Amino acid sequence: MTILVIARHTFKEAVRDRILYLLLFFSFLSIVLARVLAVLTVGDRVKVVKDVCLASIGFFGALMAILIGTGLVYKEIEKRTIFTLISKPLRRSEFLLGKYLGLVLTLAVMVAAMTLISLAVVFLHTFTLEIRMLSAVFFIFLELLLLTAVAVLFSCFSTPILSSLFALGFYLIGHFSWGLDTLIRKTPPGIGRTLLRVLDAVLPDLENFNIKTEVVQSLPLPPGFGLGAAGYAVVYTAFVLLLAVLIFRRRDFV
Amino acid sequence: MAGKTSLAPAALLLLLGGLAGFKVGLDGMPRAKIPGAGIVYLPSGPAVKAAAFGFSSLTADVSYVWAIQYYGNTAVPDRRRHFNRIFEVIADLDPSWIDPYLTAALIAHHDFRDPELALKMYDDGAARNPEAWIFPFEAGHYCQLYLRDYERAKGYYRKAMDLPGAPPIARRLFANAAFKTMDYQTSWETWREVYETAPDREIKKIAGNHLYNIKAAVDIAALNAALERFREIRGRPARGLDELASARLIAAVPKDFDGKDYLYDPKTGEVKTAVIPWKR
Amino acid sequence: MGNVLELAEVRKSYRPGFIPKKREVLKGVSFTVAAGEIFGYLGPNGAGKTTTIKCVLGLVFPDAGTISLFGRSPLDPRSKDRLGFLPENPYFYDHLSGREFLDFFAQLSRVDKTERPGRIDRLLRLVGLEKAAGQPLRKYSRGMLQRVGLAQALVNEPEFVILDEPLGGLDPLGRKEIRDIILGLRKAGRTVLFTSHILQDIEMICDRVAIIVGGRILSQGRLSDLVSEKILFTEITLAGVDEASLADFGDRLQTREGRTLLKVFDETRVQPLLDLVRERGGRIHALVPRTQTLEDIFVDTVARR
Repeated sequence: MTILVIARHTFKEAVRDRILYLLLFFSFLSIVLARVLAVLTVGDRVKVVKDVCLASIGFFGALMAILIGTGLVYKEIEKRTIFTLISKPLRRSEFLLGKYLGLVLTLAVMVAAMTLISLAVVFLHTFTLEIRMLSAVFFIFLELLLLTAVAVLFSCFSTPILSSLFALGFYLIGHFSWGLDTLIRKTPPGIGRTLLRVLDAVLPDLENFNIKTEVVQSLPLPPGFGLGAAGYAVVYTAFVLLLAVLIFRRRDFV
Repeated sequence: MAGKTSLAPAALLLLLGGLAGFKVGLDGMPRAKIPGAGIVYLPSGPAVKAAAFGFSSLTADVSYVWAIQYYGNTAVPDRRRHFNRIFEVIADLDPSWIDPYLTAALIAHHDFRDPELALKMYDDGAARNPEAWIFPFEAGHYCQLYLRDYERAKGYYRKAMDLPGAPPIARRLFANAAFKTMDYQTSWETWREVYETAPDREIKKIAGNHLYNIKAAVDIAALNAALERFREIRGRPARGLDELASARLIAAVPKDFDGKDYLYDPKTGEVKTAVIPWKR
Repeated sequence: MGNVLELAEVRKSYRPGFIPKKREVLKGVSFTVAAGEIFGYLGPNGAGKTTTIKCVLGLVFPDAGTISLFGRSPLDPRSKDRLGFLPENPYFYDHLSGREFLDFFAQLSRVDKTERPGRIDRLLRLVGLEKAAGQPLRKYSRGMLQRVGLAQALVNEPEFVILDEPLGGLDPLGRKEIRDIILGLRKAGRTVLFTSHILQDIEMICDRVAIIVGGRILSQGRLSDLVSEKILFTEITLAGVDEASLADFGDRLQTREGRTLLKVFDETRVQPLLDLVRERGGRIHALVPRTQTLEDIFVDTVARR
């Protein structure tokens, strides 16, 4: 399948990107420094280490997704390599999805690396392998799937700098949904409130992928939550990718 | 290809509906509430400020909004644990922002029923903003209204009334508090100031009433002491206030603020004012 | 044998940035490319050559007009199966080696797995890059990139090859090699469309030609129809005859080291001149009939517009 050919090629190219390794280095640094942070805090130390590790994976993973994702399509257009590609029997949608898949594979590898280091650091504290952390990483990865799709979407029509800002905006909006909640509760019932409710349903709620607290405090998740969150991620990602394909399809490559 | 294009908007709408559906479903699922509700650790104020990269004010805003939501959520138990720290962080981020201190005091009072904590919030605000009249002002009110502690209220009002921009009522509240703590001298002097510098008749009247009250209180206290002394010496209650004067227990019979006489009822031994002060 | 490519009244305008003013690049372009021919597409810079090609490839969407590639829309992947394309100033993925690069495009072109290695070897041999096949493209010179690009265009053994300035930046030897490859393609029954500034190359190998200027096709047709075989003048270099005698044959251009260069406009005067030289015992050093060249037509067409 041509999508896989593009994906494999994108993976090989992304894996060579220096930014990736810089970010990986910093994530390792922060994970290792979790130990130091634990000393400075007012809470349970082991929990702090776990929390910082998961936060690092989430944060640096998001940075990777955004920084590389926003350049993905733009580079091909800018460097004109896309001209030769389009002359082959390759649908534009296949090209785009192949790029997305390639980056997702790259992120999977990076996240796996960060997770291994995290498990090692936590192991040094608790002398057990905290498998529970893997479920948190799974959810983080779901978030990265969506974030990558958003980065690729913006990459289709905008320069890397602007795309990064937009994608970052998406990330911030996604994590501050509780602000909208407060606003909705304070708004008197009426058209305004209904509009806000609609907005709330449609704007991304990335906190649905944040089960750090549950994992760190060893709390149970409500039944069906995993499936629900996965479903949310898949549907939202599909939505964003479809949008990207539609925009990409009608674009003139000047 | 053309067929695909017409399907696309429908597919988009379908997906949009799908994700909204999932979101609503997920919102409905209750996530466990735990003590501290997810605050595993709190960095210190200076640390957060450093991490805010110059966006301290914005970070303070966001933290404040979050804190309100957090403390407004009565379902979360044990919110008290990090209360100090949270508001300390907000204060470190934006020390001159008034609202958080005031809100914190309210939370301390209403949610935690801890007056000293509430006053601490006001004091923190005052410590970081020594020129702000609002903090001792609000603290004075708090002492007066909730604690009925006029002594402390007096202290707070004293601080507030001299700070730049303080409303004139601060002075009057101070005078009133002084009266309530029986510091008649201070009260008198302050009310005299108010009386002299009154900008309108209303204030002058109020000040006048207070002055009347103070004089009456002082005079009546002195008269009562003299009457008591008279009874000890003569073995009987005085027949009139002038008896006290002739007995040289008082220098002269005092008149009230308006120059009128006080009323003495020999049968009950009570000294009263001729008029009700507020109805002069 | 039908037409491989047909364009009819193709128009394209661009709106640079957010400015509402439109810039018309193609103002109604129509031409056809028949199977088995070498078609030259020429025009000055900015005339719309590359834009036309982008429309044909589906990189850019025309505002009006129709394009039919093997009887199908340019957006249909099936038409791409039989197409090969080399862009102008090719830029490829730096980190891939020549062989990896061709393998990637072979995969995209749906070349069968078993066929791939053999075909890649053949193509590398054809463009003369066997030795450099293992090096990363980053290290290739401009000429080498051009060759590997050509190899890529041929990786699916296409019936129709589009080459945008394939001879640019090559030395004369390189140009000859590419020209030979293009001629070889025609011999194998393939169709070639290429753009070039180098008119001599077009003249040398093209069957048909279209000239585009300012977004419009000003001239198209068989090269032999466009360029008349009429002899404009004959240049003769001779020695041994004095200038006075030569005067009424034509214009004397120069005399150097005893040799005279003469420009004879009247064809009928050539033979008498040759007789005269033989009579006087002189020598003819050179005789060059100058016909109308493509360059003449081109300059004329552009100037007339």
